[in-house]
Amino acid sequence: MPKLIIDDIEVEVPAGTSVLEAARSVGITIPHFCYHPALAIAAACRLCAVKMLDGPVKGIQMSCALPAQDGMVVSTTDPDALKMRKLVIEWLMINHPHDCPVCDEGGECLLQDFTIAGGHGIRRYQGKKRTHVNQYLGEGIYHEMNRCIQCYRCVRFYQEYAGGTDFGVTGCAGRVYFGRFDDGPLESPFSGNLVDICPTGVFTDKTGRFRARYWDYQYAPSICPHCSAGCNLSPQAYHREVIKIVARRNDEVNGWFICDRARFDKSDLNDPLRPRQALVDGSPVEWEAALNALATRLREFVQSHGADSLALVGSTRLSLEAGILLAELAARYKGVRLCYFIDPAEAQLSLSKVEWVPAGMAASQAELREADFIAILPCDLMEESPMIALAIRQAFVKGAKVYLVAPHLTALNLERLPFQVQVVPELADVPLGEAKRGIVVAGAGFADLKGLEAVPTGVKFVLLQPGPNSFGAALLAREYRAVPLREAIASGKVKGILALETDLPEELRQGLTFFAAADWRNNGAAEPASVFLPTSAWAETGGTWINYEGRAQRYRQAYKTGLPLRGLPARYYGSQEAEPPAHPPRVHRAVAPGGDTRSAWMLVAELIFKLTGEPAAEPYAGKWAPLKHIDPEGPGMRLPAELLAG
Amino acid sequence: MSLLSDIQAILTGLAITFSHIFRKPVTVSYPEEKRPMPERFRGSIVLTRDPDGEERCVACYLCSGACPVDCISMAAAETPNGRRYAAWFRINFARCILCGLCAEACPTLAIQMSSEMFPCKRDVMNMLYEKEDLLIDGTGKDPNYNFYRHAGIGVVTPRGANPDEHPPVDVRTILP
Ligand code: SF4
Ligand code: SF4
Ligand code: SF4
Ligand code: SF4
Ligand code: FES
Repeated sequence: MPKLIIDDIEVEVPAGTSVLEAARSVGITIPHFCYHPALAIAAACRLCAVKMLDGPVKGIQMSCALPAQDGMVVSTTDPDALKMRKLVIEWLMINHPHDCPVCDEGGECLLQDFTIAGGHGIRRYQGKKRTHVNQYLGEGIYHEMNRCIQCYRCVRFYQEYAGGTDFGVTGCAGRVYFGRFDDGPLESPFSGNLVDICPTGVFTDKTGRFRARYWDYQYAPSICPHCSAGCNLSPQAYHREVIKIVARRNDEVNGWFICDRARFDKSDLNDPLRPRQALVDGSPVEWEAALNALATRLREFVQSHGADSLALVGSTRLSLEAGILLAELAARYKGVRLCYFIDPAEAQLSLSKVEWVPAGMAASQAELREADFIAILPCDLMEESPMIALAIRQAFVKGAKVYLVAPHLTALNLERLPFQVQVVPELADVPLGEAKRGIVVAGAGFADLKGLEAVPTGVKFVLLQPGPNSFGAALLAREYRAVPLREAIASGKVKGILALETDLPEELRQGLTFFAAADWRNNGAAEPASVFLPTSAWAETGGTWINYEGRAQRYRQAYKTGLPLRGLPARYYGSQEAEPPAHPPRVHRAVAPGGDTRSAWMLVAELIFKLTGEPAAEPYAGKWAPLKHIDPEGPGMRLPAELLAG
Repeated sequence: MSLLSDIQAILTGLAITFSHIFRKPVTVSYPEEKRPMPERFRGSIVLTRDPDGEERCVACYLCSGACPVDCISMAAAETPNGRRYAAWFRINFARCILCGLCAEACPTLAIQMSSEMFPCKRDVMNMLYEKEDLLIDGTGKDPNYNFYRHAGIGVVTPRGANPDEHPPVDVRTILP
């Protein structure tokens, strides 16, 4: 453990820590461009200069590439170091375009920050600037090569971290170029991280191009809704529209990155056809009126048909809180069918995966990155959970042996994986006994849990689930003895359904006498529903989801629901003109157009109050009490054993 | 003695008063009548155009970020040729305190304080100025500046054709 002194502060750090990281650990930020905690050291930008006053090395040194050693005395504020940094910035700015006002990085740009911090304000160099031609890199990323400062973060991420092969660095001298050989979409499903990782505006999010600035975004810690990996991200909204989604650091889960589906797929949230109007028998009404109608009709239905012909249906994308309250609502009607799954097979599988993995034996993405033996059971990881594949790649580059158990797999699946695998026909052929930190990875579709029994003890598991909260739904289903909807319907009694944020297959709505729905997604439930209530989407409300490893993670409300200001229909302008003016309406409103929605949990709570006259109970009570205080910005919370056990 | 000096004082005062009665008044009956303002007067806010007649504002949000009373709002958009511009731009003059920070922040010299006096309206909604109301036909105080002739993104000139730029380099050459 080397001990050194940085700016008069004594620091002790593990061997191998760089001086820059040692300084960070005591809260001193040394300006840097090329250094990134997740990437290998390049020492390319020369900005992190410090002065070594005493110790094994002396003089100006690059702190990111200098391992901390005993006896070092470091000054980050020495005039020589300051001058060096100032000059480096000035050199980097010599060719930098005059783009900030039209650069989407502006306001969140490391180059801006350190140019200001470094004290370079006036351009002394009067020569001309070098320019580059940009490339078309697909619909996700906009390329603006003039802004590059040659920090090599992008290549280090794309090639080393993500295993991409179609992007790299070319050119020599002052013409170093970061791009593809030819124009074309970037192939890596992690390419979007270039937006986050480039310290300048070379790569910006094309899906949010020229829309907003960092300081105007409404954002909050949130969780990816696309798969069960539970990667942390942050939706950034402006004028009620999600403009960008960026990765959020969680060292236990996704690290620093997210996949492109998480980043670029905002279509559900921003869908102009999203249901935002409460409907009773197809006619628009106030939210409150629709809720009253729902309560009345539910009561009437239960009176005339009996509680056991009613099914209350949640889903694997519903927040845990709403799921708990739904069970409370169900408890008020003896015999009512409570469902969190539609398909019996899926319900069974989700629960058996929850129960099959002994406590503590589910592997997080962080553990995957550190594994030495990994066996992947047949699944298309790149389709299902790309970030799991990215985690496996990190283990692979550190020397882990990766096996793909595949009796028959197409070559394509292998090609897309960002690591090399040894294909074996059966799990038994993987020498897991040799593993120190072995992990078995299986996709959501994997059902042969019996086949895992032969896995030696000590080996951990990644058993993926189909939805962001499948794990939570399985726990709820077990706790409240829910039945899968198909099974309930097969009993022949179910005549009415209340579907809460559930994508119901159309055939299940056939032959019902009562169907009500609440959702934020445009999934066709609004038209057939006799009462429809719009809810707030995941980014517009808070909640908890439990990922495949049993990690409960809280997400927060990023912005308030409503129709995006851009493209607001003419009726909100109070005019009959078909083409509304370009500017927002000149009308005062208490609620934004289309903003009269509630979170699903709030809806259920209000419904309970309407039906029973008593306020709904606190969801984090009893068994769920440990989940009350989860820090949305923390690592999440691995469920305690008593919650996992039945 | 004191009586005499008192009378003198009163008469002096009255003499000044009477002399002012016959002077030309300095008051103008604003707003019907307006005084010409000095060129650098910091009055009502306008959006100017560049020397080529295009809107200068690139909707960079710096003025709205700088405004201490948050009275500027806008939405950025892109034209088919890649020009960033304000799809709409609104200033709530009922809130503006004429501090001039917006004009100071503007990197394209688009938003400027004109020498016009500030308008006052009875209905607060009429104090809400949209882009159409703010945009003037001239360049305002800086007749020559065109931001896009200095930026690197190549909107009004081909890439690398601005006066302070070299043409794009050939990255495939191995010559030094
Ligand atoms: S990369 Fe940063 S410094 Fe460069 S133009 Fe964009 S915002 Fe400005
Ligand atoms: S493109 Fe961005 S990340 Fe890559 S070298 Fe240039 S500045 Fe660094
Ligand atoms: S003059 Fe001041 S208060 Fe008025 S718009 Fe500009 S920054 Fe805002
Ligand atoms: S600072 Fe200037 S260019 Fe930027 S939005 Fe305001 S007026 Fe437009
Ligand atoms: S951060 Fe050390 S050289 Fe770039």
